[in-house]
Amino acid sequence: MVNGVQPIKNIVIVGGGTAGWLTAGIIAARHQGRLKSGFTVTLVESPTINIIGVGEGTWPTMRTTLAKIGVSETEFFRHCDVAFKQGAKFAKWTTGAPDDAYYHPLMMPQGFTQMNLAPHWLSAQHGRTFCDAVSPQGALCEDGLAPKTIATPEYDALANYAYHLDAGKFAPFLQKHCTEKLGVRHVLADVIAVNQTESGDIKSLLTREVGEVDGDLFVDCTGFSSLLLGKTLGVGFKDCSDVLFCDTALAVQVDYDREDAPIASHTISTAQSAGWIWDIGLPTRRGVGHVYSSHHISEDQAHDELMRYVGNGHQRNTVRKIPIRSGHRELFWKRNCVAVGLAAGFLEPLEASAIVLVELSAKLIAEQMPANREVMDIIAARFNETTRYRWGRIIDFLKLHYILTKRTDTAFWRDNLAPASIPDRLKNLLKLWKYQSPWFFDEFDRLEEVFPAASYQYVLYGMGFRTEVEPDENALSALHATRLLSENVTLTRKMRAQLPKNRDLIGKIRDYGLQPI
Amino acid sequence: MANITVLNSETHRDLGVKTDPSAKYGDAVRFVSVVVSEFGFLTLHYPLFFSKDANTGTFYCGAMLGFDDGENLFLGTDAVADAYRPLNLQRGPFYAAGTELAVDLDHPRLTKSGGQGLFNESGAPTSYLENIMATMRELTAGAAATNAFIDVLMTAKLIEPIELDIAFDDGTRRDVVGLYTISQDTLAALPDQMIVELFRRGHLKLIYLMIASLKQVNVLAQRKNRALLDAR
Repeated sequence: MVNGVQPIKNIVIVGGGTAGWLTAGIIAARHQGRLKSGFTVTLVESPTINIIGVGEGTWPTMRTTLAKIGVSETEFFRHCDVAFKQGAKFAKWTTGAPDDAYYHPLMMPQGFTQMNLAPHWLSAQHGRTFCDAVSPQGALCEDGLAPKTIATPEYDALANYAYHLDAGKFAPFLQKHCTEKLGVRHVLADVIAVNQTESGDIKSLLTREVGEVDGDLFVDCTGFSSLLLGKTLGVGFKDCSDVLFCDTALAVQVDYDREDAPIASHTISTAQSAGWIWDIGLPTRRGVGHVYSSHHISEDQAHDELMRYVGNGHQRNTVRKIPIRSGHRELFWKRNCVAVGLAAGFLEPLEASAIVLVELSAKLIAEQMPANREVMDIIAARFNETTRYRWGRIIDFLKLHYILTKRTDTAFWRDNLAPASIPDRLKNLLKLWKYQSPWFFDEFDRLEEVFPAASYQYVLYGMGFRTEVEPDENALSALHATRLLSENVTLTRKMRAQLPKNRDLIGKIRDYGLQPI
Repeated sequence: MANITVLNSETHRDLGVKTDPSAKYGDAVRFVSVVVSEFGFLTLHYPLFFSKDANTGTFYCGAMLGFDDGENLFLGTDAVADAYRPLNLQRGPFYAAGTELAVDLDHPRLTKSGGQGLFNESGAPTSYLENIMATMRELTAGAAATNAFIDVLMTAKLIEPIELDIAFDDGTRRDVVGLYTISQDTLAALPDQMIVELFRRGHLKLIYLMIASLKQVNVLAQRKNRALLDAR
């Protein structure tokens, strides 16, 4: 201790799920150089508590995250039952008709950083969907194509992509990498008490198996129980079920009907009477789940809708029921404790926001790692501000999917339109978007915005929203826009001819591997 | 479609092979796979690069013969009569089938009359066929040595992508992608002990042959310039 300043050198992460190991890996990789001078990263995992492990969809950020912590993409594919994800297809969200569907792809619209194509698409009458007009990715998904070829290096993309993965395999995979390559200490022990200092900081964890575990900074990755931040430090929970009504999920794993069945390279989200069903294709199975509002339908009804969706598909396990408590902690970092993952909050997995939030939070902790206790509160305040903003934007973005609907067939869809259930900020934006489409200079210009303006465009115009366009405003940029739109036609044709089928490429990665360069 | 069968002195007694380099015999390729044992000859004429197998994504070594698809600038009027031909072009219609020799019966080089014979009256291999068998042995052994060389380079991160963007005299450009070469920066930063190891294994020589062969890109571009002028 120098001049009474307490340095932050021992990081203790509690919880061995996806959040815990990702956080451990991100912090340890960022601070590798300090490990020899006494900096430690310790992960305490209960040998008795099972991980939730239903998070099966990531954002493209995962590619950078894995590359940074030194994981080979080939090994990741081979060990975690990984498939490519190029976006999401939302079926029956707008009208509920059998052919009602749109894509939210992961590629930005053509030339997005140079110009906004939305006004040009809006004023043109070419009959193409917004997604197809500005990006090849909807067509690639429809064709079941992979986003790259076997000759594309690890983590590089021809079409932007994320992953679908088996969360039950991902956590052990990360554990092995963190402990063997990154010097993370793994302690298998049940926490039976949390010791605090007089000031209220967390001093140590008392475990049944190894006694006391001391630390300077504690990361709460204990899942829904939020043992440190919630239970010990008493940080309250901000419920948002008044905005997002779904509160239960029924999940099941389904076999493919044959070994070489195509693997969808996007998440399929199909709206139901009081919620929606996710359908995620992994190489060896599909993960299917019904997210619904128990205030609108009974568990039996929800189960029936899920079974109707699964049809003749062979189920690998019994249906699991997972409660969803929509919302987040009022603070995410208090004193010397920060929560990441489900311990920080949870929202329905409509846009796969869970794992990306873990990455963003862990990265922020790693990059802003306070040097000592004196400055920790400054970092904590920043972290809270940024993280609260992110949760707010995710809630807004999820709600957007529900309020653009034209469905009135059930109380669930009608209730979603109740003005009291729509956050003010979102209401204002919708008002604004009637006259200008979201782009740069909009408010989504923060560094590492979870959902960029492009995402809003895809959902708005995918669901039939109209922005009034002043024809004269397009005049100056019409030529440029025409060129970009025709470039997209060329690119789409080229990619459809060049890219292999999703399952074929995954098989090749298993057999030959991807090259690091 | 290839029609590959194991060679035998009975059935294939009368088969002949036309050996002159020609586009009509399948020599019109821009890039041909090579093995490390021929690097010394190859660098006299061709730039050597790594490229990725389209089917597996794995690296292989190759000699660059042209800039456009199906372009071999070492054929036709501008051909160098005594230029070394890469083994994979020398072998023509032949393949290795384990320890045996196989032949593609649909290969355009095969002829029923004339050409180089494969077997003499008594059914013994001709000196041409003996040469082919030696070529196949060198290719098989060479493939293993080449893969070992590539593995060492990959582990030491000594391979890096290179993009050739070349302007020709007729005003056109060629942007050749998908090629890789030795990373000279990484090489320069290698610890002494690794350099000695590369030298002892014979890999350092290969590395410098590949680096030296890059100069052949300009020579090849001159060839292309002449071809473009001839085409006018």
